[in-house]
Amino acid sequence: MPRLASIDDLKRLRGILRYDVDAGRLRVVLCAGTACQACGSNGIIRVAKRHIMTRGIQDKIALTITGGDILDCEMGPFVLVEPAGAFYAQVRLEDVPRIIDAALVGEHVDELVYQDPQSGRKYYRQDDIPFFKYQKRSLLEMGQKVDPIRINNYISEEGYAALEKALASGSPQWVVEEVKKSGLRGRGGGGFPTGRKWELLAAQPVDGGKYLVCNADEGDPGAYMDRSILEGNPHSIIEGMIIGAYGTGATKGIVYVRNEYPLAIKHLIIALRQAREYGLLGREILGTTFSFDIDIVKGAGAFVCGEETALIRSIEGKIGEPRQRPPFPVQRGIGGRPTAINNVETWANIPLIIRRGADEFAKIGTKGNSGTKIFSLVGKIKNTGLVEVPMGTTIRKIVYEIGGGPSGKARIKAIQTGGPSGGCIPADKFDLPIDYDSLAEAGTIMGSGGMIVMDENTCMVDVAKYFMNFLKDESCGKCFTCRKGTQRMYEILEDIASGKGTLEHIDLLEELAHVVKDTTMCGLGQTAPNPVLSTLRYFREEYLRHVVDKKCDAFVCRPLVGAPCQAACPLGTEAWRYVAHIARGEYEEAYRAIRETNPFPSVCARVCHHPCEERCVAGATGGDAVAIRALKRFITDRTDPSICRPTPAVWEDGEPPRVAIVGSGPAGITAAHHLSLKGYKVTVFEAEDRPGGMLYCAIPPYRLPREVIEKEIHALLNENIRIECGVALGRDIDVDGLIKDGYGAVLLAIGAHRSVPLRLEGENVAGVHPSIEFLKAFNLRGTKPAKGRVGVIGGGNSAVDAARTALRLDGVESVTILYRRTRDEMPAFAEEVEAAEQEGIAIQTLVTPLRVLSEGGRLVGVECVRNELGEVDSSGRRRPVPLPGTEHTIALDTLVVAIGEDSGADTISPALSSGVEITKKNTVRVDPKTLLTNRSGVFAAGDLVTGPNTVVEAIAAGKKAAIMIDRYVRGAILLEPAQPVLPRIYIEPAAPLEEGAEEGGRTETPRAAAAWRKRNFAEVEVSLSPEEASREAHRCLRCDLEFTRPKEEEESVSEARRQYA
Amino acid sequence: MITLNINGLSVSVEKGTTLLEVSRFYGFPIPTLCHMEGLSPYGACRLCVVEIGEGPRAKLVTSCTYPAEEGLKVRTSSARVVRARKVILELLLASCPQSKVIQDLASAHNIRRQRFRQEHEDCIMCGLCVRMCEEQMMAKAIGFRGRGETRTIGTPFDIRSEVCRLCGGCIYVCPACQLRCTYTDPDKAICGGCANLSPPCLEKEPFEDMMCYMEPCVACEITAASKKPETGREKEGKGAGDAIEDIL
Repeated sequence: MPRLASIDDLKRLRGILRYDVDAGRLRVVLCAGTACQACGSNGIIRVAKRHIMTRGIQDKIALTITGGDILDCEMGPFVLVEPAGAFYAQVRLEDVPRIIDAALVGEHVDELVYQDPQSGRKYYRQDDIPFFKYQKRSLLEMGQKVDPIRINNYISEEGYAALEKALASGSPQWVVEEVKKSGLRGRGGGGFPTGRKWELLAAQPVDGGKYLVCNADEGDPGAYMDRSILEGNPHSIIEGMIIGAYGTGATKGIVYVRNEYPLAIKHLIIALRQAREYGLLGREILGTTFSFDIDIVKGAGAFVCGEETALIRSIEGKIGEPRQRPPFPVQRGIGGRPTAINNVETWANIPLIIRRGADEFAKIGTKGNSGTKIFSLVGKIKNTGLVEVPMGTTIRKIVYEIGGGPSGKARIKAIQTGGPSGGCIPADKFDLPIDYDSLAEAGTIMGSGGMIVMDENTCMVDVAKYFMNFLKDESCGKCFTCRKGTQRMYEILEDIASGKGTLEHIDLLEELAHVVKDTTMCGLGQTAPNPVLSTLRYFREEYLRHVVDKKCDAFVCRPLVGAPCQAACPLGTEAWRYVAHIARGEYEEAYRAIRETNPFPSVCARVCHHPCEERCVAGATGGDAVAIRALKRFITDRTDPSICRPTPAVWEDGEPPRVAIVGSGPAGITAAHHLSLKGYKVTVFEAEDRPGGMLYCAIPPYRLPREVIEKEIHALLNENIRIECGVALGRDIDVDGLIKDGYGAVLLAIGAHRSVPLRLEGENVAGVHPSIEFLKAFNLRGTKPAKGRVGVIGGGNSAVDAARTALRLDGVESVTILYRRTRDEMPAFAEEVEAAEQEGIAIQTLVTPLRVLSEGGRLVGVECVRNELGEVDSSGRRRPVPLPGTEHTIALDTLVVAIGEDSGADTISPALSSGVEITKKNTVRVDPKTLLTNRSGVFAAGDLVTGPNTVVEAIAAGKKAAIMIDRYVRGAILLEPAQPVLPRIYIEPAAPLEEGAEEGGRTETPRAAAAWRKRNFAEVEVSLSPEEASREAHRCLRCDLEFTRPKEEEESVSEARRQYA
Repeated sequence: MITLNINGLSVSVEKGTTLLEVSRFYGFPIPTLCHMEGLSPYGACRLCVVEIGEGPRAKLVTSCTYPAEEGLKVRTSSARVVRARKVILELLLASCPQSKVIQDLASAHNIRRQRFRQEHEDCIMCGLCVRMCEEQMMAKAIGFRGRGETRTIGTPFDIRSEVCRLCGGCIYVCPACQLRCTYTDPDKAICGGCANLSPPCLEKEPFEDMMCYMEPCVACEITAASKKPETGREKEGKGAGDAIEDIL
């Protein structure tokens, strides 16, 4: 290579090299970054080269091999055809020739073009893909254009043009001024103005030399933007540093890069050699009097060496430990000489600023935070990868528009920025613009730009613990508060996560965190408490749940969770225990395990929303959850309930106290049952003509046969319980009256029986039914209120119940569910929706009713408007936005309104208002831990408190109410300190089934054929066979054994593990 | 000369003076553990923090390293400083409960409870010994190894250092660990300094009855041990145990 002797030489060279690009020549870009290489891009390159050679089309098509990561690593390897911009992902070897052939004739291969994995939409141009559309890739774009190991390639893409401009200006002051004017701030996370730093360095005396350092010690887990720039475009760093040296008068440059980046080091070495050969580095650069050279120093991988004073010591060959500033490196750095240290991304921005002008650069971003910033977006999100956006972009935009929203069903809870010593920002603060100042205000840091998205399955205590574990290992240990502070914070967090925490722990943790932040020596220690402080600031509730209630709602902290199936059950049913008994064939023991906690086993075996299965480890770890509800059904169908029938105790201390319970739903009956067992005399008041509440009124018989309810309730009654039907609160009785009558305590459990109206014009005409009224009319009175074409508005369970009930009535032609969001957002149980569809119910999503149309006082249809999904609202769901001009009419004969229920407490409020406080949502306000209302002696439970909820929640509330009423009547303290609920009983694992029998995944609950079942009200779900049940039960992973296995056994197991290892 | 304000008092000092020196000179006490005149400032124990600046820009800095600046406002015992010091002392006490120096400091700062889990370490990594060895004794026999919680002080490869002159300086300056000298285990000896300190007990007759200034007295133990028959140490050459016999 000839040495370029002057600025004009460089210009001339670029002119020659530009020729290819300007001619609009066809170019195939292949990515060979670290991630793409791991996905097999080297093979792709080989095949592409061979194909071009064998077809002899070298002069028609150019091949560029880039090093910068383009998109989500799992989507690699990528091929990009320019200038058309066709983008292919996950390219296979055999596809390459087709892509090249198509490109030659100006086309693209349709079936290989990038397809969005979620929406399935195809995108022909890279710029149209949502992930790219909202970005501004001024740094990353170059990594996609340039071959990192060919300097000519860089020069042809305007490379070293900025250097040209700087040298041609002849004024170092101009360069520093320009950088100052651009407003560029340090991209390593501190945000110190780069121009200011350079000015300070330029003002230092020259004798003995001055240093410039590129800090490429990128140690944050999950962050790789610096690596991507170094691998993809090393010349931009070199050019930036030469310009910096020219501006500040520095004589020596050092790139401090971690040894874990072999490809980056390789590309950098090649780039430095090429730059030297061209005379862009070394003595008398481009024929001027200015000399500068760059060396590489490889770091051994200590996280703290990213801190500038530690980095200097590491370069000097000493232990990488910070020292106290001042003096600052710019005064005394490497070997005591003035040193300016900038991050990789900062250096990469310099050529852009000089080439395009400071004013252009300052236009991007916000005032005081100019330019773009690269983030590495990872976590529970659909699109992961490097993202470059202008400063000031909101987190919401990055998470939902670029990132595509949550990867799973769980809602996004928080985002963690700035690497291990950054902090967490909760989802309700996602409108925060990302810049140095607002992040600092929110209690976190920009850091080097890591962004970890977390959903509701992430425990914030565990997150803080995880990062503190990292930091205590990476703290250099020089200063006491960082070394001991991180250790002690970790220790306290571990205590909290394992259920040993107290409220004092939280105070101590906070105090310690503040002191550590205040008193440590370097940036690592000063930011180390951020994970703790930010989680304490935004998620203190979670800490309190761990400490006070001994619960980890994300099911992460094992010592608090125990067996997830048990912890997920509102009743604390030991699901693992009865599943283990079923595997061993011990059906009676299994029934007892169920019945001990649950007074309604047969009901729950049919209609429970089985939170146990959602949390089952077998399902959460990638497989299918054990079909726990089906196993419960299997047991309850086969066992005689009389084997477990507790006898009521006799009240020993004089006359037994009397308790009044208003409402005989699952909550009321459960409370009555448990109180009666303790010897109380309970009177249950029921407004309808038979007990059962919502079990009877709302749940249709094809899901829950009437005789099951009757049998189950009957089994729970005894001589201590008296049921009075046809007595309604407000009409026949009131709270004051009950207390006057001598009841020691009153439990209100009247449920949520009133459907919320649509509040639309013309709603009160014949043919429109509120859903609960509709279901009651059929379930209780046997009338058939639907005919012809039936529409159901709503997406919850009562909508699906009403729809499926309507379908089974004579005279109904068709049933359509109208829901305003999409199928994914329907709150009804997925299996119910699926069953409804099987039966032929149409589900129209994204429609909102506008007007009820009637003729002569009778419904004829509804006018609807179509919606599209708009912005994400605070619940993390996309808000439906009506599309103007899409109004249309749906002709209907019957309309069921099922958009929600409430207690209707406002209409009976004269009765309830005997002092009982009611919320705006028409629920009764209680202390959630004691269920006590604001009136002493009056408790409330079930849907009346929570709004419409599930059966098992109501049973749990009833049980809790019974305990609280008992304590209240006895005059005991209502609240006792919580203990984690852990498995206690050891059940020896069943002998394994024969080889392979456990494979094949979950046994689906058999259902009656749709064509048959939709004509009648017979039960849809069918019980498992003994073989199926045994096979399913054997799939259980037995999470309980960790807590229950006897010691000897534990030892032999760990011994076996050791030997196996 | 530089003029600055310390606890409301306007004072003038020479350029290059640290805030600690200024404060002590004017009679404002600041507790320290890792600081010693004659050794370079290190800033490791963080006990000497003082508050500088005002309003939202106020911050804590270590007075032992921070140079006096023109117009600086320093507070040596503001609420923020005292809170930080108390937590640091509580942490120190939890780690090194047996150090008399730390006990006294904690007591002087009115620390009446200990909220962290008790540990029994005998080093706070203040680095006094390392700096003493390097800067005053010019030996560099000992140094730091490891990182974070695994950080320790010792000789390279934990074998007796050839450059160690058994001067005992490291032990003399140690605020926490009078027991660290492993003289009885010469293979792991850091310095064996006690042999050079001419403990008073050795000069008096009968020295067994004397209260040793080191508890337990390392020197006496050695004397007692050296009376025992040799236990196969001779193969490893002349250990520190032999050295003391030479001296005696």
